[in-house]
Amino acid sequence: MTLIRRHRNLFKYSLDALGRYRMRGAVVVVTFLIATTMISAVLFTKDGLEREAEYSVNAAPDLTIQYLKAGRVVPIPAAIGEVISGTEGVERVLMRTWGYAGIGQYTFTVIGLDLQGLDLTGGAMGAIESGRFLTPDDAGTRNIVIGKLIAGMLDLKTGDDMILLSESVEATRFHVVGVFSDQSSIYTADMIIMPLEDANAFFNMPDGYVTDFAVYTKPGADAGEVASRMSTIPNVRILDQDILLRGYKAAYGARGGVFTTLWTILLAAAALIAFSQAVVVGHESKFEVGLLKTFGFSTLDIVEVRLIESLIMGFFATSLGMLIGYAYAAFFNAPGLVDILLGWAFLPKEFRLPVFVSAESLLSIYAVTVIPLLVTTVVPAWLNAITDPEIAMRRGTA
Amino acid sequence: MIEARDLSKIYNKGRSNEVTAVTKVNLKIDGGIAAFTGPSGCGKTTLLSMLGLILTPTSGEILFDGENVLAYSDYWKTKFRRESFGFIFQHINLLPGYTALENVLLPLYASDLRPEGYRERALELLTGLGMKERADHTVEQLSGGEQQRVAFVRALVKDPKYIFADEPTVFVDEETSKVIYDLLSDLRERGKTIVLSTHDPELIKIADKVCRLCRGSLEKEGGRAEV
Repeated sequence: MTLIRRHRNLFKYSLDALGRYRMRGAVVVVTFLIATTMISAVLFTKDGLEREAEYSVNAAPDLTIQYLKAGRVVPIPAAIGEVISGTEGVERVLMRTWGYAGIGQYTFTVIGLDLQGLDLTGGAMGAIESGRFLTPDDAGTRNIVIGKLIAGMLDLKTGDDMILLSESVEATRFHVVGVFSDQSSIYTADMIIMPLEDANAFFNMPDGYVTDFAVYTKPGADAGEVASRMSTIPNVRILDQDILLRGYKAAYGARGGVFTTLWTILLAAAALIAFSQAVVVGHESKFEVGLLKTFGFSTLDIVEVRLIESLIMGFFATSLGMLIGYAYAAFFNAPGLVDILLGWAFLPKEFRLPVFVSAESLLSIYAVTVIPLLVTTVVPAWLNAITDPEIAMRRGTA
Repeated sequence: MIEARDLSKIYNKGRSNEVTAVTKVNLKIDGGIAAFTGPSGCGKTTLLSMLGLILTPTSGEILFDGENVLAYSDYWKTKFRRESFGFIFQHINLLPGYTALENVLLPLYASDLRPEGYRERALELLTGLGMKERADHTVEQLSGGEQQRVAFVRALVKDPKYIFADEPTVFVDEETSKVIYDLLSDLRERGKTIVLSTHDPELIKIADKVCRLCRGSLEKEGGRAEV
């Protein structure tokens, strides 16, 4: 009981001290608030992008088959599709022709799908917000389904027409029959889906060629084993979901990683500021520690008092910083950060960053903020506490 | 009984700026009021701080009731200070931003006692020194004399056995000085041991034992008439 009362006394003293050293507390809190806000925005955005990458890969086929010539990807002969279909473990092969098309300063991803081979159960490529997805009857009709981002940017809705310019600068009119929903976010945001025949015509693909094949394996079949069976087909490159996921994550992670490093440096700087702050206010602190020791506060008591103060300040500043960081990314779209993280040449105002808070990121942020703060405030206090009280007080008033 | 044996203090020992503050002081204080006097820089405050266990001597022994307390750990000495000592400093040393009453209760936060439980006693002591109306004023709102009275109450709130006072009347007015003389006399009557350093002849007059220091050495000691 007396032990609890003693710790309660120290806790109460710590709270009082926080109120008394308002300037020192404010400097530490503001410094860590800025640093935590930045690192949180980067990490939460990176988490969101990685999650998007996983969604994208989940929606992707089990295997993607490309055609190589002289080590470069070129259109693949459609006839190879029959060889692939005949491979053990393959359920379905979908021909795709895809590329990029522009409208003014905007560039979108155009994907033509073989609607005969497409499994239309389960939303095909993502949830539709308005209108419908394409059916085999749409072949050659120039009907398209567009991403929500495109719809927002160009003010398009189901039933409208849009004109795309091809590489040969030929304008082609398409008819919007559906718009993807927010749930598919980045994956479908800048995507235009059209029948394979229309895509082939739009991109001027040679007859009998497509961009690649999407291969779906039979339930229970191992995609890796199916891929190894196809390895004897000349000139093909086989990508499985793991390779795609690694690619996506590496792209986002590397950019995010650079930023994480930068912000870690910033935090180190913040820690230094906290330390210098402790030294600047050191006179006051030394005097206080010396006086407390005179009254009978032990070295451990002093450390406990500073520990409580730092924990309260650290958790408060870090938690608030994370909230602001989340709002900065989720509600304000992380201005100044989003371009670098996504690497896109142009991001329209309609674009919404995918933001996700993972437990791993939360713990990392607490670790890189609270621990340095504890070290930079507790260590000087401990050094003062092991000094003779008279000397500490004299240094404090010098 | 407080006893110092060959007590010395050298600051910055072994460095170019080495200063010998106290040299081989031997003395015994057996209750009552003991006053250290002498010119500025003679080592009064250093000796007082060493006896109060807030400054580690370079050599020598300090005995309380026959026990060499320097042989014990820092934790033990801290606990001993907490339970048995009260301090009054020359520069008063109240914590700014706190009220007079909060400053008085501060030493209790280091203990397992309830600071709130000592509120009445603190107010009683403040009232005794004419500070009742100023109890809720912050340090910045108090005059030097009022601050020194608060410092006295802070030293006495836990009713310690030993009281160490460094130049307690140097920065206070005549009226406060008289209050301090009366208070110290009263404490002596209640069996407390008071060790103080002072230049104040009036304070020396109420001391039972006077120790005159010169250049860190004990030049003379005895009753106030002898010294």
